[in-house]
Amino acid sequence: MTTEKTAEKKPEYIKVDIARPRAYRWSSGRHLGKLYREALDNKRLVTNRCPKCKELLWPPAGACGRCNVEAGEDWVAMSDKGTVIQYTYLVFPLWDPHYGDRLANPYPTATIKLDEGVFLVHFLEEKDPEKLKKVKRVQAIWKEEGRGRGLADILYFRTIDE
Amino acid sequence: MAELMADRVEKLKDLDVFVYHGKIYIPNTYTAGAVGSQFLIELRDNKRIMGTKCPACDLVYVPARSVCKYCFAQLDQWVEVSDIGTLQTYTVAGQRNGVQPVDPPIIYGIIQLDGATTGLVHMLSEVDFEKLVIGMRVKAVFSEKRVGSILDIKYFKPLA
Amino acid sequence: MGNRVAIVGIGQTYHKSNRKDVNQQEMVGEAVRAALADAQMKAKDIEAVFTANMETFENIFLPDEMMADEMAAFMKPGLKVGTGGTSGASVVEEGFHFVASGLFDTALVIGFEKQDCGDTTAAITAAVTPVWGKGVATGAIGEFAKQALTYMEKSGAKEEHAAMVRLKADKGACRNPYAHLRLGLKSIKEVLDSGYLVWPLRFLDFCPQSVGACALILASEHKAKKIAKKPVWIADVITVHQEPFRAGSFGDPTGKEEYTQDIAADRLYKRNGITNPIKDICMAEIYEPSNWEEMSHYEHLHFCPKNEGWKMVEKGITEMEGAFPVNPSGGVIATNPIGATPTIRVAEAALQVRGDAGEHQVTRDVHTALATALGGPNWTVATLLRRSL
Repeated sequence: MTTEKTAEKKPEYIKVDIARPRAYRWSSGRHLGKLYREALDNKRLVTNRCPKCKELLWPPAGACGRCNVEAGEDWVAMSDKGTVIQYTYLVFPLWDPHYGDRLANPYPTATIKLDEGVFLVHFLEEKDPEKLKKVKRVQAIWKEEGRGRGLADILYFRTIDE
Repeated sequence: MAELMADRVEKLKDLDVFVYHGKIYIPNTYTAGAVGSQFLIELRDNKRIMGTKCPACDLVYVPARSVCKYCFAQLDQWVEVSDIGTLQTYTVAGQRNGVQPVDPPIIYGIIQLDGATTGLVHMLSEVDFEKLVIGMRVKAVFSEKRVGSILDIKYFKPLA
Repeated sequence: MGNRVAIVGIGQTYHKSNRKDVNQQEMVGEAVRAALADAQMKAKDIEAVFTANMETFENIFLPDEMMADEMAAFMKPGLKVGTGGTSGASVVEEGFHFVASGLFDTALVIGFEKQDCGDTTAAITAAVTPVWGKGVATGAIGEFAKQALTYMEKSGAKEEHAAMVRLKADKGACRNPYAHLRLGLKSIKEVLDSGYLVWPLRFLDFCPQSVGACALILASEHKAKKIAKKPVWIADVITVHQEPFRAGSFGDPTGKEEYTQDIAADRLYKRNGITNPIKDICMAEIYEPSNWEEMSHYEHLHFCPKNEGWKMVEKGITEMEGAFPVNPSGGVIATNPIGATPTIRVAEAALQVRGDAGEHQVTRDVHTALATALGGPNWTVATLLRRSL
């Protein structure tokens, strides 16, 4: 609880700071569950394909929103190599509600198109802004321990020469 | 912070479904506003319980409010109400929920203070739950250390 | 098509960074009283009340429950509307539908957000799937940053063009007493010197977090004609939703996706006989979270051909004195209390139609105005206002 007292005759306004993490228990469901299972056990990204439009859904889902049909179980393992479509990096720290930390500079993230796969947003290993401009081909680097969190099982994408 | 935010993954037996136990932490602030602040400051500095009066509807809101919900008038008339009132109803909370001001069991009551039209929700103490009766007269007990919070009133106790 | 509905009352708070002198409920009360005063109506004349707010920002769950008194809603019907960033426009649409149905004569619609009470970026970052996007989201800002970079690469726009948009917005904001950021910016250099937030977005390229509320009173035709000297008719409202793009929420680098802005504009213009938008419509208040997005929206809303939004800026077409003014109020980049922002776009467009925008009234006569809203993922709500139907 904080109060603000300002000099003479200025009104005092009371405010209450609330800093309480809220717990949740989130069920992945079957489709994301399969993604997490494959990431955990086999260090690979899988997703399903819409039977009608043949596009890969991302994330894997029960229905294709564009076709309004059930997505089915046509599962595909995707390459862990891709091309950077666009990137950005933090200069001013942001607050991350998931870990209660300040996300520090530079924290580079990018939209990456996986080879014959989908677009996903993830970190880049490269932190130098000048070098970031030239990053084109990247490959996923998986965590060796502590997997089971789906996309977060990939540590970041490393620049590769190709 | 890391321990506070620690997450864990639970794999459901025989099903390819994971349950993710995590936490979201978005700090925020609540501003009491001018009217709310004045109410709390009176508790803190003067051990006085104040309400705002709507003269057109002849009623007194405690805690103080800025507008009358019936006639939409903006309220700027402050009146002091008594620290003694009548118990309108009560209950006891036995379960812990992480946001309680004191440890359970907690007796909550709605008290209509003399001079107020509304009831005030607060805690009751120095009384056995079995001895509570609707219509009982109760009196506010103020905290020694007051900070500008509804808990500057520690609880209400039966008038001897 | 429904009965005719007009805006007969407009009210907003003076938008600021901080309002410790009021709580969320009292802030809404200010906007409501301003709208009632503008309409010369009493609280009892309002038949239904609708609110829009993004709860996670203030962490006040069911805010409408706690402000029934301040929003003249005691013992009345109404709803709280939540469509992400477009909530403030969807609430106008909701009120419009109630009155257009013929079942209600008046409705009060309110958008509000008290962002000094929360952490907006944290809240938006938290809006991703709990595990899914965890740790890789940078809130909306990260997405808009990538948008800006893509726009620069594809259209040939330069940082100077984005800076010109920022200057235009500030000029308008300085003439709008309700606007939040009124900086008195003098030069492109000032904008370019403002330091990076998320590269390549600078501090001045992106909207602030504001505290404010905006209320509109809607009335049926027969009521409006009786009580309002200058009713502003809601000719049409259109909402277009979609899934997130396959390659990100706000921008599509693949070039294959359809934008809701294009679709909303196509449908709205067709339904209302608009064939040359910048001639048939007199001005627009669009929802531009960044100056880069503004240029991109000119294209999506068909004000100009693809990749030429920055040319409109260069030629001064969208300035207050220009042939097609856009955001003379200062826009979102000057004032952004998120729940209220889309409502403010409609309110500001309505003020222009009424000729009541004071110092930020545009030079061109406004008989038709467009107000748009943007929400994640890239949803659009577009409202068309007319002086007469």
